[in-house]
Amino acid sequence: MYKFTQVLGRVALCALAVALFAGCQAKEAPSAPGSEKPRIALIMKSLANEFFKTMAQGADDFHAKNGDRFELIVNGIPNEEDVAGQVALVEQMIARGVDAIIIAPADSKALVGVLDTATKQGIVVVNIDNKLDAQVLTERGLTIPFVGPDNKAGARLAADYLATKLQSGDAVAILEGIPSAFNAQQRKLGLEEGVQAAGMKIATSQAANWEMAKANEVASGILNEHVDLKAILCANDSMALGAHAAVRESGKAGQILITGYDNIAAVAELVKSGAILCTVDQHGDQLAVYGIEFALDILAKKGAPEDRQTPVDLVTLDSLQSAPAQQ
Amino acid sequence: MAASTKTSRSLMVWADFLGLALALAVLVLYFSMTTENFFSVTNLKTIANQIPVDLVIAAGMTFVLISGGIDLSVGSMMALSAAVLGVLLGPSGLPFGVAALACLATGLALGAANASLIAHLGVPSFIVTLGMLEAARGATFLVTNSQTQYLGAKIEWVAAEMFWGISAPILIALVVVALAHVALTHTIFGRSLLALGQNEEAARLSGIPVKRIRWIVFAVTGLLVGLAGILHSARLSAVDPNAGLGLELRAIAAVVIGGTSLSGGRGSIVRSAIGVVLIAVLGSGLAQAGAQEPVKRLVTGLVIVAAVILDQFRRRAR
Repeated sequence: MYKFTQVLGRVALCALAVALFAGCQAKEAPSAPGSEKPRIALIMKSLANEFFKTMAQGADDFHAKNGDRFELIVNGIPNEEDVAGQVALVEQMIARGVDAIIIAPADSKALVGVLDTATKQGIVVVNIDNKLDAQVLTERGLTIPFVGPDNKAGARLAADYLATKLQSGDAVAILEGIPSAFNAQQRKLGLEEGVQAAGMKIATSQAANWEMAKANEVASGILNEHVDLKAILCANDSMALGAHAAVRESGKAGQILITGYDNIAAVAELVKSGAILCTVDQHGDQLAVYGIEFALDILAKKGAPEDRQTPVDLVTLDSLQSAPAQQ
Repeated sequence: MAASTKTSRSLMVWADFLGLALALAVLVLYFSMTTENFFSVTNLKTIANQIPVDLVIAAGMTFVLISGGIDLSVGSMMALSAAVLGVLLGPSGLPFGVAALACLATGLALGAANASLIAHLGVPSFIVTLGMLEAARGATFLVTNSQTQYLGAKIEWVAAEMFWGISAPILIALVVVALAHVALTHTIFGRSLLALGQNEEAARLSGIPVKRIRWIVFAVTGLLVGLAGILHSARLSAVDPNAGLGLELRAIAAVVIGGTSLSGGRGSIVRSAIGVVLIAVLGSGLAQAGAQEPVKRLVTGLVIVAAVILDQFRRRAR
């Protein structure tokens, strides 16, 4: 009997493996032999992150309307810190012989090597979301166009808006993203610049790695140590939610202002209720689309690629009330 | 004679806690000196309200490690349970009681799935729970549609202050720790579990239902994970598809700091709880000291290893 269940288990496992494999295969869009449509691979960070999920959704919608122009393969890594996983994904896409790769790099330096390989194979590479490190690109003599928002300018918008609510000399704290990521660094710079320009004081600036629970722990500690704190500026919305919970628990709700970045639905709600002061929308749903359009342009014209900037907008209670149609 | 062995044994039990308590005292002392407000009642409350999830998970993890197994899936299972809670409470608008029961049931069901594969099909727990780590996370993304749900007032009241800054979650967690401690030290289940961890073959030959014990261990861990899902969501008043990332390693670290053997057969729930407090104190203190990320990680890693080494020295000296 025991042996029977054991065998049964193994059979079930094998069946599961086959089913999974078949499932993966089925996801690929069938390509007609001799078809001229360019194959474009979109490589995201974590598809678990709402921001990237929206981005992928935008790309899918765009593809649904323009299916005759290109084929789309969307990929993501399980978590944002899995740099090696993303390198492997790029390698797989090279092996599949795609015509263009649109990538939101998990790390601004570590991905350059494999993207260099892709470029050498004649694949058009377009960088979105998190900008590749300029110095590393120059060292390798590589030009990869960046299509995306200016994270520093976006963060500055949030800090400047906060400054209108506070006074010079007020103490604020910053919650940073993953320290090694370029967009985290840019947002931190933008927040710092805005805070300093208004004469406010940065009590502490710490990384919470984009994560809600981590931000909650760090913010709790900060609130306890810096009793005169007036605001917490967060480099993304997940961290703003974590900080919001920490502020509520400390009994200082309403006394500490919070700013976010990304404009996820949950935070937009809190901006409406006034619990979070503002967030920044960089139109995530369109970012990948901008990248795809750009790649199609390059493929068609074989022109010299240049960076292209996409819009960033401040989201406040006022902006939400004046434009109820959005979100 | 008998009385004196008993005293020396109870002395030994207390000496058991000494190394850990010392490590904790050193940490508290250090942070009290380097930061302004670490050593304060407010901070004590903050830390107390931060640890319920880890306490509950660590209790389950202690059982698992004592049985000689491991559970890598607690973080993902917690995220999935919380996701079910979030969807039922948020968009579906069901009452809290129903959503909370569904959350517990999800945890229990996932734990039971682990348990059945491990106990009855004999697949190593490392493999089964590694699979569950991935699968439950994937299911979480599906259930939440990868979106963070803000629940606000629908769940906030669970974690609201009751008296002296203490909230229900910490009381619930302490009850869980107490029950788990009694189950391990004063019941047939506990003795059977220790015997199973020490020598499975001997345990089987002496008539202990090893399969059943092992099944219970993983299923109960699932149930505790479901409970942790409620506590976690209440604390953050939101449900996040990335909830519990790395929770399994933090729980294992706390349990191992508490002296529970990774190879099974030995462990203590109370000591695991102290391990949880130690890690929480470290996290809170480093944040208050304004330490940067690299320093935080270095220090956390070193403290985990140092605490275990300290513990081993003390054991060998005995």
